[in-house]
Amino acid sequence: MAVVDRNGPIADSWKRLADDAPVPQGGSVIVSLARLKSDDNALFAAAKNVGVEFAGDVNLEEVLAYLPRLSLIVARLTTMRDGRPFSIGRLLRERHGYKGDLRAAGPFIPDQVLFLLRVGFTTFEVDEGFSIDALKRAVAAFTAWYQRSATPATPTVIELRHPGNK
Amino acid sequence: MYLYDNFDQTITQQRIGEFRDQVQRRLKGELTEEQFRPLRLMNGLYLQLHAYMLRVAVPYGTLSVVQLHKLADIATKYDRGYAHFTTRQNIQYNWIKLEQMPDLLAELGSVEMHGNQTSGNCIRNVTADQFSGVAGDEIDDPRVASEVIRQWSTFHPEFAWLPRKFKIAVTGAAHDRAAIQFHDIGLQIVRNEASEVGYRVFVGGGMGRTPVIATEVRAFLPKDELLSYLEAILRVYNRYGRRDNMYKARIKILVRELGAEEFIRQVEEEWQASDRALVNLPPAEEDRVRKFFADPPYEKIAVPVAAFEDARKNDKAFARWVATNVHTHKVPGYGAVTISLKPPGGIPGDATDKQMHAVADLAEKYSFSEVRVTHVQNLVLPYVKLADLHAVWQALGKIGFADANIGLVSDIIACPGLDYCALANARSIPIAQQISERFADLDRQHDIGPLQIKISGCINACGHHHAGHIGILGVDKAGVEFYQITLGGAADENAAIGTLIGAGFSGDDILGAVEKVIDTYLELRQSGETFIDAYRRVGAAPFKEKLYGRR
Repeated sequence: MAVVDRNGPIADSWKRLADDAPVPQGGSVIVSLARLKSDDNALFAAAKNVGVEFAGDVNLEEVLAYLPRLSLIVARLTTMRDGRPFSIGRLLRERHGYKGDLRAAGPFIPDQVLFLLRVGFTTFEVDEGFSIDALKRAVAAFTAWYQRSATPATPTVIELRHPGNK
Repeated sequence: MYLYDNFDQTITQQRIGEFRDQVQRRLKGELTEEQFRPLRLMNGLYLQLHAYMLRVAVPYGTLSVVQLHKLADIATKYDRGYAHFTTRQNIQYNWIKLEQMPDLLAELGSVEMHGNQTSGNCIRNVTADQFSGVAGDEIDDPRVASEVIRQWSTFHPEFAWLPRKFKIAVTGAAHDRAAIQFHDIGLQIVRNEASEVGYRVFVGGGMGRTPVIATEVRAFLPKDELLSYLEAILRVYNRYGRRDNMYKARIKILVRELGAEEFIRQVEEEWQASDRALVNLPPAEEDRVRKFFADPPYEKIAVPVAAFEDARKNDKAFARWVATNVHTHKVPGYGAVTISLKPPGGIPGDATDKQMHAVADLAEKYSFSEVRVTHVQNLVLPYVKLADLHAVWQALGKIGFADANIGLVSDIIACPGLDYCALANARSIPIAQQISERFADLDRQHDIGPLQIKISGCINACGHHHAGHIGILGVDKAGVEFYQITLGGAADENAAIGTLIGAGFSGDDILGAVEKVIDTYLELRQSGETFIDAYRRVGAAPFKEKLYGRR
């Protein structure tokens, strides 16, 4: 396993904490939503950074109360074709104002990273076979789009067509 | 029609570059077939029984002469000299080699065309009334909304990996020529009591193994709110649509499982919570798009047009073609010509390279250089002067496209079936060919009157059999092709799903069975009564009795 962002591999010190493992002092731990709900006070008190992981079937209402204190959210694609995290990314960024690291995990391929970035993901947990070359080409494949991105870095085509129109 | 600006062109070019890279990685083994499959599908490339099939998008069925010439050239260069127009107003090539795809896409890109999102679990090519902008019964031109939807849905980052495919259709008239109630989203342009323009929104229609007529989810959506409302529907579907079973993954199943009321509640809640202003189209952009669909420079023509009336009087065959193939135009002195791609014994929707070039030449000469594709797999010249109709008809006759059968028994929709398709259980094309040959006599066809036969080679219903007045469904019965008959389906504003009337027929017997159904109608019809009206009056019983005897 490695963690990458849009430019390639990055250092990563997050560790997953099994639901039955004791809460460590310090460190950055990723827990399940069930563990977060049952142990939130202990976790936020002891760990340096707390992250939570869930899949596309998550009830986001259960996460919202923790958002300001979470430094990482891992949304897992159960298959390459699992589109639910793409909606979750936009909801977290656009509607709920989540500012921390949003990380995709699962069997996605480099070609999907540009869209994940556009819906608000920032980092990506990938396996050894994940091609960094392909990633770099994929994120640069498009320079223009019709829809607003969740973390707008570049204007949309519509905005570019009507520069005076805000 | 809409023309690309630099942004549209950049996006199309960048997509070609992306797919070129993906094909190379697949050929080198860097992508597995499982990984590559959804990528190639979203570029319109299927692997069929014998070869790759490429589906090229024709947005809401509108083609320029330049595009049609290019499509013909591609048929010559990359295929076997022909192509196939589809029920999504697209065009398909059946004999494509994977390694040629990037070059082929580059050629398409040179005329603002592509295969993007013509397959895959994403928002597909949006379809619309083929008479958009020329029909007299229109409230607003559906091409404006269709182009807006085309751009919004192109590479939408949130909705590229839906539970299943997603089809949107738009009509601007109360009479539905776009089958909107059989779409995942159907939009009917309407006016409210204050005379403002907006949309009546239908969700969850579809064919397939579970045919469903769409539910009206909103009687009136203000025009400017279209994109945010579409996003709300798509988001509810993307999050909650079933992903465990591909046969239960369409939005129609979500609507059914939640119940219409709860589905509507969730969509409205999502819509109200969203930042609609960020998603809705700014009026300036709608104005920009609308300008592309301004009327062409029509001439002021006094009617009646003597040359046209004389030709109609003196040439019975021409008069008959006018009756079926020329649609009333909103501008006096003009007609919208439907070119039949359904000659007796032909393959519905097929056209050769030569025929496509010839149609393009006719459009250039007589129809402001524009052609439309219909969801019934025919072509349209939307702006022909009545005075030119006779010449157009004669020219069409020279290429075998002058059959006076639009809306009649031989104007059949058929899927490619077992002759091409990897999913099919039975052949569709030979059945369509047999029927059109048996009923080739135009006197007989015109006597039978309006009748829609639709044929699917399997339960996926690409041939729209559920919506056929007479539907024919191919099934596999212990390794033998059998054909079931449904009656009473309709794809217009009175949408209905056909009823299966009994046991299937063998490939040898299906033609005779269809003929018996039609004979039964002829015996029982009342004066001026069409097949579908008669069926609605008498029900299935007389037809069953004729086919299967008394029980």
